[in-house]
Amino acid sequence: MGKLERRLDTLQTVELAEGMEIHLRIAGPFLRLYAYLLDLVIMIAAVILIWIVIGISSFALGGNVAVGLINLALFVLLWFYPVFFEVSRKGATPGKMVLGLRVVNEAGGTLTFGASMVRNFVRIVEIIFPFLPLFSFLNPRFQRLGDLAAGSLVVYTRDRQDPVYLGPPALNSIPVNVALTREERAAIISFRHRSGNWSEARRAELGNHLNSLTGQAGSKGVATIVGMAHWLEDHS
Amino acid sequence: MNRQEFEQRKSDEWSNLDLRIKGLEGRGPAVEPEKIPGMFRRVCHDLALAQYRMYGSLICDRLNSLSIRGYRLIHRSKGGFGECSIQFVFNTFPNSLRREWKLFVVSSLVFWVPFFLMWWSASQEIAWVQAILGPEMMMQVEGMYGKDADTVEYLRGEHGANFQMFTHYIKNNVGIDFKLFAGGILYGIGTLFFLVFNGLYIGAVFGYVDYAGDPEKLLTFVAGHSSFELLGMIVVGMAGLKMGFALLAPGRLSRAQSLTQAGRYALPLLIGGALMTGLAAVVEGFWSAQAISANVKYGVGIFFWILHLVYFLFVGRGYRGT
Repeated sequence: MGKLERRLDTLQTVELAEGMEIHLRIAGPFLRLYAYLLDLVIMIAAVILIWIVIGISSFALGGNVAVGLINLALFVLLWFYPVFFEVSRKGATPGKMVLGLRVVNEAGGTLTFGASMVRNFVRIVEIIFPFLPLFSFLNPRFQRLGDLAAGSLVVYTRDRQDPVYLGPPALNSIPVNVALTREERAAIISFRHRSGNWSEARRAELGNHLNSLTGQAGSKGVATIVGMAHWLEDHS
Repeated sequence: MNRQEFEQRKSDEWSNLDLRIKGLEGRGPAVEPEKIPGMFRRVCHDLALAQYRMYGSLICDRLNSLSIRGYRLIHRSKGGFGECSIQFVFNTFPNSLRREWKLFVVSSLVFWVPFFLMWWSASQEIAWVQAILGPEMMMQVEGMYGKDADTVEYLRGEHGANFQMFTHYIKNNVGIDFKLFAGGILYGIGTLFFLVFNGLYIGAVFGYVDYAGDPEKLLTFVAGHSSFELLGMIVVGMAGLKMGFALLAPGRLSRAQSLTQAGRYALPLLIGGALMTGLAAVVEGFWSAQAISANVKYGVGIFFWILHLVYFLFVGRGYRGT
């Protein structure tokens, strides 16, 4: 279905080597900002912890060794904290895990260590010039510069939060006598599948757009569309 | 076949695969993995079919997430850290250096020209050097390499001082490498800035020591790690410039695609350059400040430079086409 379906929802399609397309649900910039702020808090806490632990142990190790250990710990923490988590099984830093996000490559798989390094090191430039992350709004997949350089995406991992209610049952199967494009058929069928989550009035409001096809308005029109969807599903 | 029939007929296999994948993801009882690839391919087929026939989001979502999880399991990279490292050192890294030799020339010039200009300028007019270093740094340089300064060996006598300096160099110098790389995303300007700045600054230190200090103290200290540190920086600079050029001249690709591609090629240069800088920190921390005669230090320094030349030119020539 590829390109056509993109007008019906905001999913991104990726074609895999297996010859089929998967749909990734791309996470938006605001959620990613929250995740980043959470990670920032965690990192600050970790820095304080490192100071305390190594500070106490400095009595046993000697001042120079302790300063050295703090140097190493800060270096690893500041540069590799996101990298280690992103290449792990979870594929996300703790901040992203909490919000149900995951960093994946363009085929939906886990990042390699190198790609994760590229992705996270570029962030330093985006911190120095804080307007740069705004460019991710211009990208259909909300990739920031680091994502572009590493070929990575941030996606939702959790299943849809809103429960999917079944739409109203089709009372009868109504044949469609007009030639429809694939997209139009997909629109009618997904009207039926999604209508369970809408109020009666909303269904009628959307159903009225199909006046020309159903010839009816309001709940009668909705019933006709559902019937048509039923027929289309059996005949496609 | 309509939707219900399709779902009825296949549903068992889908749940079966779901269970197996859960087992391998560590969220369920252990399973034998050998049947998974076949089942995964059948589910991929089902997904394509369901999408084409528009069986609706209930089925498609389920198959979609099943496929993604299966894909993650099947296409994950094997650990094999040891083999990967050997492959990297003896094949990937030196070969990508040679493939990008033009960038090496650019990156080297951007560093060495300001370096030697600044060094040379000290013999003509010291004001430039003074302006770049500033009074604090000049005092520091005099403290370390001045005519009557304590020798570096003396300062490193304390317990753990070598280790502390080693970690300091790791944190600072490798951190600078990473910034140098990241700056490439600004159409290469960030990388160029850091390279030129480092060239000017290091050149200024050399010039100032010539002017006011004892050059032998500086040269014996830097001889050992100079090749690792300077070449490492230049190599990371190549990685940054690779991204910069990809944005400047994307060719037939879109800028985003071109950047993604450049990121892949720049990666070995970034890792390799950072490793070289890490080695420089080891040498600088544990060797450069030892109380050993100047000639031995010069000898070791020259040996390392030749080692780099040989490594850059000859290692990994046998493996082509990766």
